[in-house]
Order: sequence, then structure tokens, then C-alpha cells
Amino acid sequence: MSRIGVFVCHCGLNIAKTVRVSELAEFAATLPDVVVAKDYKFMCSTPGQEMIQHDIKQYNLDRVIVTACSPLMHEKTFRKVIENAGLNQYLLTIVNIREQVSWVTTDIEEGTAKSKALLNGAVYRARLLAPLTSRVIDVNPDVMVIGAGIAGIQAALELANTGKKVYLVEKNSTIGGHMAQFDKTFPTLDCSACILTPKMDNVLQHKNITMLTYCEVSGVKGYVGNFDITIKQKARYVDHSKCNACLACTEKCPGKGVSEWDEALVKRKSIYIPFPQAVPQKPIIDRESCTFFKKGKCRLCEKVCEQKAIDFEQQDTFIDVKVGAIIVATGFDLMDTKPLVQYGYGKYPGVYNSLEVERLFNSAGPTSGKVTMRDGKEPQSIAILHCIGSRDKNHHEHCSRVCCMYSLKFAHLFKEKTSADVYQLYIDMRAAGKGYEEFYNRLSEENVKFIRGKGARVTESTEEPGRLIVEAEDTITSKFMKIPVDMVVLSPAIVPRAESKDIGRLLNLSTDKQGFFMERHPKLAPLSTMSEGIFIAGVCQGPKDIPDTVAQALGAAAEALTIVVNDKMELEATTAMVNPASCCGCQNCVRVCPYGAPGFNYEKRVSEINEALCKGCGLCASVCPSSAIIARHFTNEQVLAEMEGLMEF
Amino acid sequence: MSQAVTPYLEMSQAIMDAGGEALKKCYQCGTCTGTCPWTPITHFNIRKLIRFGQLGIDGIEEFMWGCSTCKYCVDRCPRGVEIIDVVTAIRNVYSGGGMLPQTLRSFVGSMSARGNPWSGDQSKRNDWAKDKYPLFSSDKEYLFWTCCTVCYDPRNVRLAKATAEILNQSGLSWGLPDVEVNCCGESLKKVGDLELFERLKNNNLQYFNKKGITKIITVSPHCLSSFKKDYGGDYQVVHFSELIASLVKEGKLVPRKDFGGVKVTYHDPCYLGRHSSVYDAPRAIIASIPGLEFIEMGRNREQSMCCGGGGGGLWMEKLKGERLSDLRVEEALATGASVLLTSCPYCITMFEDSIRTLNADDKIKLMDVSELLLESLEINIDEPVADTCNV
Amino acid sequence: MSFEPKILGIACNWCTYTGADLAGTTRLHYPQNVRVVRVMCSSRINPSFIFRAFQLGADGVLIGGCHPGDCHYNTGNLYARRRLATTKKILEFAGLEPGRLRVEWISASEGNKFAEVVEEFTMQIKNLGPQSKLKIQQ
Repeated sequence: MSRIGVFVCHCGLNIAKTVRVSELAEFAATLPDVVVAKDYKFMCSTPGQEMIQHDIKQYNLDRVIVTACSPLMHEKTFRKVIENAGLNQYLLTIVNIREQVSWVTTDIEEGTAKSKALLNGAVYRARLLAPLTSRVIDVNPDVMVIGAGIAGIQAALELANTGKKVYLVEKNSTIGGHMAQFDKTFPTLDCSACILTPKMDNVLQHKNITMLTYCEVSGVKGYVGNFDITIKQKARYVDHSKCNACLACTEKCPGKGVSEWDEALVKRKSIYIPFPQAVPQKPIIDRESCTFFKKGKCRLCEKVCEQKAIDFEQQDTFIDVKVGAIIVATGFDLMDTKPLVQYGYGKYPGVYNSLEVERLFNSAGPTSGKVTMRDGKEPQSIAILHCIGSRDKNHHEHCSRVCCMYSLKFAHLFKEKTSADVYQLYIDMRAAGKGYEEFYNRLSEENVKFIRGKGARVTESTEEPGRLIVEAEDTITSKFMKIPVDMVVLSPAIVPRAESKDIGRLLNLSTDKQGFFMERHPKLAPLSTMSEGIFIAGVCQGPKDIPDTVAQALGAAAEALTIVVNDKMELEATTAMVNPASCCGCQNCVRVCPYGAPGFNYEKRVSEINEALCKGCGLCASVCPSSAIIARHFTNEQVLAEMEGLMEF
Repeated sequence: MSQAVTPYLEMSQAIMDAGGEALKKCYQCGTCTGTCPWTPITHFNIRKLIRFGQLGIDGIEEFMWGCSTCKYCVDRCPRGVEIIDVVTAIRNVYSGGGMLPQTLRSFVGSMSARGNPWSGDQSKRNDWAKDKYPLFSSDKEYLFWTCCTVCYDPRNVRLAKATAEILNQSGLSWGLPDVEVNCCGESLKKVGDLELFERLKNNNLQYFNKKGITKIITVSPHCLSSFKKDYGGDYQVVHFSELIASLVKEGKLVPRKDFGGVKVTYHDPCYLGRHSSVYDAPRAIIASIPGLEFIEMGRNREQSMCCGGGGGGLWMEKLKGERLSDLRVEEALATGASVLLTSCPYCITMFEDSIRTLNADDKIKLMDVSELLLESLEINIDEPVADTCNV
Repeated sequence: MSFEPKILGIACNWCTYTGADLAGTTRLHYPQNVRVVRVMCSSRINPSFIFRAFQLGADGVLIGGCHPGDCHYNTGNLYARRRLATTKKILEFAGLEPGRLRVEWISASEGNKFAEVVEEFTMQIKNLGPQSKLKIQQ
């Protein structure tokens, strides 16, 4: 006989609107072993929690059922509540009548009936629950940050400043990310490099940060508190431990590769640093364009290198590190706009995407900050087209969020650096940040022409060769416009980095429809993921501007710190165990477990489970032919009892 | 007089109820208007049509007839608004009250009285064939669905004969429909007469069921689209060009005549291209014909420009300077081609008119792809046909 | 009164259960016939659970897991997939309509899909009528 208390939450009207909560509580009181059943407006509030704790003592309860929102929402909250009242936390059962009942129906009869069935199942299950003891594990105090853009840099610095050791992994040969490509940032127009480069230098100098550039995460094992990471150090063909960053090699190199950093607007050397302020200041060789790798001859760089740092034989190497928590900050790519043939990107040299334009403005860019086009001329007339592939069901449904603002910034910079007429072709102007609307106003004063209508087509002028014609309707006057311009700037959709898919796979992160990493809860846990100990920050979670990215990075650092600040942590007790008396020794469990948790004890001829490795999926329990394996908290008996309860009503 | 207007949401609801549900999704970005081929040359504004529809505002009648349902805007619309459905619904709701333009009245009248748009005698539907080709019977594999336009319109009768003769050579087992069938009703639906469309559709479906039709070849892309999307019958339907392209590929039809370097260009009909995604088949046929130099127009395939004949446009009068077909013929002329090819009887009718009014008869010849193929197969159609247009 | 089937759902914690929650957060309405049991992974589902559900009078059983390749436990759902395919065969052998067991991969972001699947499956079970083949009569 157990003594169960049932607590039904109204969640204001969220539940009470489509479930008769008092009827549910009365019903609960009739169920076996239920000694008290109550309903209350907000069970998660302080009075609600106190009521549960009070009743545990008053009625001497040994099981608690909270009938409320999803366990993914408040299981932890209520576990703490009953634990503080002296009950083992695993004796709690949550019945999800909000997300899976009241919010998905409009019919109060149906809602009440389904809630009763779910509650009945929970009572059946609760009677069979057993107290469990959480495992306590040692926590590795180090943290890995993947991606060294502004988000990764900020998170790494923050953690390092608290004294934690951080591995900062970056796939490019320099840290800095997209922000380092920009010239100015909106709406303050402060210089991007002036904000970022000191931080980059801090990373380089920080004794607690191990900077792993030109690296990729290639393997992840373990779990929160104890991740085993394998990192691939791609071959640089330059021994950075010898290189003194004199860069003599880059001067002599005859090879020409496409500058990724300058968005392919110019060529760079085959042995190179991406840009003058790169961190580290040490070059790498691009195999694809290197004369020696292509033709077997050259080695000029080797000849000029006094440090003997050039190493054509260098191979990819692998580094193993152990960390307690991971922050993912892999950032974004721009959508490829070539398939949108109507805009002529890749066809007409006068059509640019926004990152290319960022480079044109940048004083360290291919034109030294002068706005000249591919033909070397300064544009006299420029059209900036918003929402290219964003807010578009045919491509990406989401709003990319920063395009309105950076398009305004472009307009300002064009006005400042050229005498061009500037047109903005927009659908809606979204300027909802601090100082953003003011910036929009300022741009109107700068005589930028705003055309409310999406750019429909870019063609070449038949009268003036080389000039482009932007076609669009100005929806305010209902006039179809043909605007002759020299330069078209597309603001393409922001999409997750192409490689983020692989990272997601490695770390078991879920993604949303667009491929951005999904947070554990959009409001309660926006930086956590479904994988314990792994956090996300910046645009890899969804498009956002620099202030929001930095804020998220700080938050993710704090989240990671909550784990690595302690040397021990509690893990879910819901692991599997073997009942040696009924183990038949078939070793099915040993074969199927992805974590190698079950091992075979040849002496006793039975399987045994290493709880430190077990993640509690229950796979072994369901392949065990003699039911010797018990998946704690999800035992056969518990699951079957719940099913029985569900099917009764 | 007050300039204020009040939204009339009942009217908006009526449009949604008539199939224009997608109306509400529009966020008025103007991609449709910027894409629409009519915007640069007429006052028609598709975005405004939708906007007026969203609020049920008076004045909508002004531009409800401008759309030729070319589907360019639908493919580009970022909100996925089925704009053609909206146009059809608006026409349905408004044309009920006697607002049908004069030029469309005889079209709808003929459809209602005779089951075809050309005021042709229903019993004479198959007269063009002169009993040379079999009627469909249960031992036949394909029903060769001849569009009303190729049955009655003298210029397009040539197309009927060419296609039928090619099928004759192909070795396929096929037959023509009985005269009891009527127009597929595609244009009628787009004009908004949904009730009459249902009647025509049901009559044809009855015939299909009675005859146990399982495979249909259409000569017009309009019938193709209608049978595929609006009829929902249990049969397969292919366009003539798709079927013939595969027969040419298999070597069952071998074009022989060498044209000695004649320059040709091809116009993608909206209903074959954007509506049915058939772009390659006609080009494959052209490529199989010896001695042609094929030149694409600037706007081709998915970007093709409308001839203006869809959505009832074929039966509406347009002023000079407001005809898409004129612009398209000029585009074809600019390629230097001496033959403009297409594969739709509506396009043929529209371009034939334009070539005449532009006095371009001596510069460019208009042919259906199947007509050119027939010539290359070195097949003679018995007697010459009258080279006239218009009924 | 029309037949309202009882359907047992078993959903993995990480994908389908979260997806079902998302359907709720986005207020998608779907039939209330499916009652969901949460397990940590679809691989936890022992075929006996499914047989037992039918014995208990379930008219249909809906299993939900992560998309193959996206399992929170790397490979769990691959085992589940094979095992459930076999289970389906056995059920068929026992004389049950195979349409009464449905396995769907629904990710945490696919709230829409969860609602659609429930809608469709409920319809399907309604068409199949009450299940009595394996039900233990009391």
C-alpha cells in the first residue's frame, strides 16, 4: 500500500479552460492508494509548492503526482519540492495535461476524459515507483567552445576570466568570425575591428585559453561533466611552434588562391594569413593553389623561412581533450543566391551579396575601403534589395532579422563614401532594437530613397551596356518601377553554417526546420540543449545581431560555469542494472549498447553494467531475453502498469 | 462625396468561400506585381486585386480581367499564395452580377450552348479528321484528346492533323473522342464560371468513365492542366510532346528531313511549362530534327513570358501596345530565328495575330513543334489546308 | 454514438514527446484518442509492451522516435526500427490488421507532424473499427 497525493494545476486558464480541474481532483480521490487530491490555480507558485510539502507531511504521503504541464517543463522544480519535504525525488510523477491535453483540444469533455485516463495511468505507475539514489560523478573543470566568432570569443574570455581552462576550437586559420569581416556595426557605426581585435588579442594572450585554429571537432564521447573530445588539427604545412610570424614567405609566394576572407573578390597568396590583423599571425599553405603541391616545384617559402618552419610533409593530427561542458557557437552562412536567377547574382558583375559589400567598406578589404566595383568604377546609383530568400516560403520562411539594419548601415556608408543615389527596396522595415528606429530616421534624413516593394528582377540595360535595371513595384504608389543602377546589393537569408549539421550529429543536438540548433526551451532555457552540458550561443541558434549574440555568449558561459564550477555533480539515477540471478549470459546487452556500459563478467558468467557509462536509454532492457536487466524508473512493470491505467478509461 | 471607405468583409469572405482562401496569406510585398508581365504595359495590378479582395473594397472590378493566369507570380510568391485561385474566385464572385466583359459574353455563351468556345457545331467536332482516324474504343490504349481550338479554329486544324498523323505513324493504339464530349473548360474556370465548368467537367468525366479511359494524350497544355489538376479522374494524362519525345528517343519515330541550318527558337507555353513543368520534351524533339540551329530567347523555361492567351485572354480584345504576344514575337525576332516554335494552340492563335499585325510574316514563321516534326518525318498530309485564321 | 478508438502512444523523450509538447505550445488541435506513455528512447520499447497494449484493448498503437540517424542515444532507434518491423509481422501473423501499429519518426521541431500523424492515424483506426482480436475480455 502506498499513500499517494494528487495535485491538479489549473495553470490559470491554460488548463482549466478545457479540462474540468476540480472534477479531475474529485476523480483522483477515488483511485487506489490516493489519500489526498487537490486542485490549485498555479501549482508551481510558492503557495502551490508549500501546499504539496504541507500535505506530504500531514498525510504522510510516499508518492506525489503533479497533474500539470509537461515534465520537460517542471519535473525538476517539483522533484526539488518533494525532496525538500523529505521524499525521494524519484517518487514524483508528472501528468502532462497542458501541452498534451488542454492546449490541443477545444472540447472540455474530451479534455477532461483524456486527463482522467492519463491520471489513472500515472497512479498505477506511481504505486510501483522505487526511490533511487542519484549518482555523483566527478566533473572535469575545463570547457570547450566550438567556433571563434564574436560569440565563441566572448564566451571563452568570460570563462577564462573566472579561472576556467577553455579550449577554443575554430575551423578557420584565424579567430574572429564574420564580425572581423565587417567595417562598421549598426546602429552606432562604431568600428567593428576596434571592438573585436582587442578581444582577439586577449584570447591569444590569455593563459587559460588554448586556441585551436584550423581545427575541427571530429569525435565526441562521454557525457556532461566528462566529455572526451577528439579534435582534428588540419595540416597547415607550417610548423607554428617554429614560425615567428615574419611573413617573409607570404611576400615571396607566387601562388594565387581565392581569398575566402574577402568573399572571393580578390586573390591571395597560397601561403597566407587571411587578413593583416588575423590571430594567430602565422600563415598556412592552401594546398589547392600552392605551386609546389600542384607542380612539384617551387618551395620558395621554404627557402626564405629562416625558422625552417615550412613542412610540406605535415599531416593532419588529432588532439584529445577532456572537458566538463561544451558551448557551441558555430555561426552562420549566407544563403547561396545563385539559384534565384531573377536577381542575376553570379551573372552580372554589378550584383553583390551583403558580405561582399562588407568587405568593400573595410579598410583592410580588397579595395582598402573604397567603394569601387568589380570593373574598378565607383557606382553612381545603388539598389539594396531586402529579404532575398528570407521570409519566403520557397526558400527560408524565417526573417533573418539583421538585414534591415545592415542595409541601412550600407546606405549610410554608401552616402558617406560615394556620391551615389541609394535605393532601399524593402517589404517591412524592422528596426526593433535599441537605437535602431533612430538610425532609420537618420537614414531618411540622409536622403536615401525607400521603395516599399520587394525587388522582383534585375536585368541588364539595353540602352546603357553594363548598367543594371532593378524592377519592382512601389506598393505605395502602385507604380511599376524600373530603376537604373550600377550596383545591386542583395541581402540574402541567413542560414546555419554548412558544417553545423556535422556538429549537431556529433553532439546530438536537435535542429529546427531551418537547421538552427534548438534550445531546450525557448523561454526557460534558451541557451541549453537537450544534451545535458552542451550550450548554444549566437546565430547558430537563430539569426540575431551582435548585442544579442554577445548577451547569449555571456549567458552560455554562465550556464557552462554552473556545471564546471563544482568538482562533483549529480546525474540521473535512471540507469540500468542487471539482476544476476536471472541473467542468462547471452551478452545481447553488451553487443547493443552504444556506450559500452554493459560488460561481461566471465568469472560469474553474467553481465554487469558500469553505471558511470550508462545513459539510461533502456535499450539493453528491451533486448534482454530473460528480463534480467531492469531499466530503473522505466521498468517493465512500471510501463505496463501505466499502460493498463491509460487503457481503463 | 466622402472619400472614406469601409472594409466590406462579407465580400472578402465570399471570395475566400469561392476558392480564394489563399487571399489572407498575402503580405503585400509586391513580388507578384514586379514579376507580372502585364505590369509594365497595362494598368492591371495583381497585388491591388488581392488587396482589394482582402478588404472587400469597391473598385476591384476595374482590374479583375487583366490576369492571364501565367503562374509567374505564383511561383515567386514568398507567402505561397495561390494567386490564380484568388483571381478565379474574384471573377466568380463578381461576374455573377452581369459584370462579364462584352468580349467574354460570346465565349461563355458558346460554351453554355455548344460546349465549345468557337461557336462550332458540336456534331462537327471531328469533321477535321474526315473519318481518317479511329474513334476511341475499348481495344485502344490512348484517348487522343483534341482541344476544341484545334478542332474548330482553321489555323489550328493543321495542328490537329499534324499531331494525329504523327500518332498514326507512331504505332500507338489510340482513338479520338466521340462528338458527345465538350470543352475541357479550363479557360471557362479561369474566367470564373465555376458552375458551368462543373457541368462541362462532369459531362467529360462521364464519357471517360463510360469508355473506361485510362490514358489520355492532350494536344493542348490547357486540357492537360485541367485534367491533371481540376478533374481528379482516375487516369494518366500526358502532353503530346512528352509522349512523342520518348518515342523519338526510343527510335520509333525518326526525323529525316534536314533543314539545312534554319534558325529556330521556342516559346514555352505557360500551361506546359510553369503549370505542368514540361520544358525538356519539346526541346528534345527539336534537338532530334536534323539541320536546325536552336536559339533560346532571353526569357525561357521557368522565366518564359506569357502570350496573353490564358485565363480567357484569348477571347478578350487588347489594345495595341497592351499585347504580350506582340512583345514576345519581337523577342523571337530579336534572336534572328526564322521559325518561332511553340506547343500550344492558344499560343499559336495569339502569335499568328501578332505576326500579322506586326507585318512580320516574311521574317518569321510560326509553327507548332509537332508541325515541324511532321515535316521532318517527311509525311504529307493529304490535301492542303486553308491558311486562314479567325472564325 | 460514433466509435472513439483508444490509441496507445509510446514516445521517446527527446524527439517525439518534445514534438508532441511543441504541438501543444503552438496550439495545434488534434483528436484526443491517443494517450502517450513517455520512455527515454524508442529502443526501450519491448515488443511485449505492444502485445500487452492490444490485450488491454488498445485499438491502435502509435510509436514515435527520433529520425534515424538523429537518435539521442546514437543508434537506439535503429534497433527499434528493426524490432518494430518484426513486431508488425508477428501481429499480422496473429491476425491483427497491420495498420493498427504505426511507427513514426517525429523530431522535436515537428509539432505539426505529430498533430498530423495523430489525426491521420485516429482516422485510420476509426475506419478499421474496434480491435477485438487480441483483447482479453473481462
